[in-house]
Amino acid sequence: MKNKPLESLTMDRRDFLKTSAVVAGSVALGPSIALAEQKKPKEIIVRAWGGSWGEALKTGVADGFTQATGIKVRLDFTEDNEIKPKIWAAVDQGRIPPIHVNWDTTTNATISALRGVTVDLSDLSNLKGLLPLAKPVGMEGYPLVNTYAYVYVCAYRPEAFPDGPPQSWNVLLDPKFKGRVALYDDGIGFNPIAVIAGGGSLKDIPGNMEPGYAFYKKLKANKPLLGEDADFTTWFQKGEIDLACTISVNARAAKQSGIDVAWTVPKEGCKVDTDGLWVPKGLPANEEYWAKEFVNFALTKEAQKKWCSLLGLPPVYPGIEPPADLAGDVSYPTKPEDFAKLVRVPSKVLVENQPKWFAKFNEIFQG
Amino acid sequence: MASNSSSKLPRRWHLFDIAERNAAALWPKTMHRYSGYLLLVPAILLVFVLVLGLVYIGGYSLHELDLATYRLKETFSLTNYSAALTSTTYQSVVLRSIGASILVTFFTLLLAFPYAYLMVRARQAATKKFLLISLFLPFFIGQIVRAYGWLIILGQEGLINTLFAGLGLPAMDLIYNYPAVILGLVQYMLPFAVLLLAPAITAIGRDVELASESLGANWMRTFLHVVLPMAKPGLVGSSVVVFTLTLTDFAMPEILGGGTTDFIANAIYDGFFQLSNSGLGSALAMILVTLGTAFVVILFFLAGTGTLGFNGREQ
Repeated sequence: MKNKPLESLTMDRRDFLKTSAVVAGSVALGPSIALAEQKKPKEIIVRAWGGSWGEALKTGVADGFTQATGIKVRLDFTEDNEIKPKIWAAVDQGRIPPIHVNWDTTTNATISALRGVTVDLSDLSNLKGLLPLAKPVGMEGYPLVNTYAYVYVCAYRPEAFPDGPPQSWNVLLDPKFKGRVALYDDGIGFNPIAVIAGGGSLKDIPGNMEPGYAFYKKLKANKPLLGEDADFTTWFQKGEIDLACTISVNARAAKQSGIDVAWTVPKEGCKVDTDGLWVPKGLPANEEYWAKEFVNFALTKEAQKKWCSLLGLPPVYPGIEPPADLAGDVSYPTKPEDFAKLVRVPSKVLVENQPKWFAKFNEIFQG
Repeated sequence: MASNSSSKLPRRWHLFDIAERNAAALWPKTMHRYSGYLLLVPAILLVFVLVLGLVYIGGYSLHELDLATYRLKETFSLTNYSAALTSTTYQSVVLRSIGASILVTFFTLLLAFPYAYLMVRARQAATKKFLLISLFLPFFIGQIVRAYGWLIILGQEGLINTLFAGLGLPAMDLIYNYPAVILGLVQYMLPFAVLLLAPAITAIGRDVELASESLGANWMRTFLHVVLPMAKPGLVGSSVVVFTLTLTDFAMPEILGGGTTDFIANAIYDGFFQLSNSGLGSALAMILVTLGTAFVVILFFLAGTGTLGFNGREQ
């Protein structure tokens, strides 16, 4: 055989980039994809939160996955609580679930794992070397994998606090802010903080939630607004509220879109939690395979760095530097001393008690 | 010859013959006396699907949630009903929903009746057209968009508060409270009520009103003793629609209530989706169906089913 002339071995820029992306993707996904013989589906559907959350997942993970595998990723913005019963019903009835990957809160994902509808992800190659935060607590194997931590911060309008950021969550009770404070409509993110702000301690949770309920009763007199992520942004934008307990991502996104919002971690602390990814049972074998590979891809250093930087949240991949605007911010915990200022309740406790807390929260605010 | 002559017939006649033969095979002549009942099939199918869904929901409502597996327990129990009926939260939610339904029905009819009357009696075509367009326009705008419209008008930086600020008055909390929900619902229900009232008012001949006035009754007496009683079918029909739609509404309390003025539908949503407790959600749904049905039964009992022309006689 004759040697090919050198010109025939050269490639244009576009081909070079394409080949590089495939090679890089294959390396990132590990040997499993490079050697895979599983038939590729045309697309995989990933449930996601909308707004800046969905944008971050698309740019940080989905686009890279598509580039590496050629599989399109469609984001499904069905509310996390609404997709859950749909998946459960599909698995119970032996139907194919409506999505391939669920981006979910760890609490909800744990509930689905308890229900037995999640695929074990223990064999993902990129699990090795992740921070312990990635492993779901109290569960066998990896029915889900945590992908980052997030904090329910105290977001406020600086204009309403000329003397500096609020120092204590008790500011929620200040009559000056009557009708101008907001919480999540199920108390999520604030229940343990209410206990501490109400005079209790972390040790009281979940055995004695009374200090928290007493705090809520006082708060009711201040007529708080109760809503979801999108509501907080609207309320800040429309000048309806001065203060809210919301995830730092929402406060940061609002600030980036020009709304005058800042955030702080008051002396009682803020609740820190995790979100994760999981794959529902009942998918055809090849689709389950590629759904798992999507999760695996989301755990690579590149994806974690891009995705979590856009969200402004600390990833489970170690050693990634925070975005410049969040360096040293306690709402972006990276060091043990950061976590010491935050309140973390184990998922097991949340799963077992959240319905009771929600009932009591409702009783106080709806009663 | 016969075959020749039949082949000259238009092709569609042959098609009709084939259709008739098939119909006779499917529905023999002996069954013809029951043909009228065939008209019931769509209604039966519709009701069947509804009843089937209710039977399932009723079944779920009798099983308690197991928090260890997040599945409903196998054993039957009334725990969900007990939780729903004894909880002060759900008692408040139910009372709030019923209260809102009564208020919205009252205010909607109060506004809808003159609107419908004017629309029917207007002499100028332009006035009629204007009223009709104004009535139908909101139908093209969904409930959610309309609710957000109220946010723009009633919010802290909304139209009204901006006006107050211009007049040197302090801003008022006009939104995220019960009155805001009622206001939003009345606006949403108004077209339904007008559309149901208009045929009833149209059926009242103008000459009947003239006769009353020529017998000495003033406008008010004519309205109270002639128009209102004769418009009863429309009033009952629109009351049923407005009351039940309000009782089952989700969006207005969700958007305009600020999270603290939930109706039963919001509580059902929370049961199914936020608590993942389909048993409790189903029990609340059964309570809602019972309340709605009870209202309709009571109204028909008081007003008589004949009000809507359902008196068993052909008109």
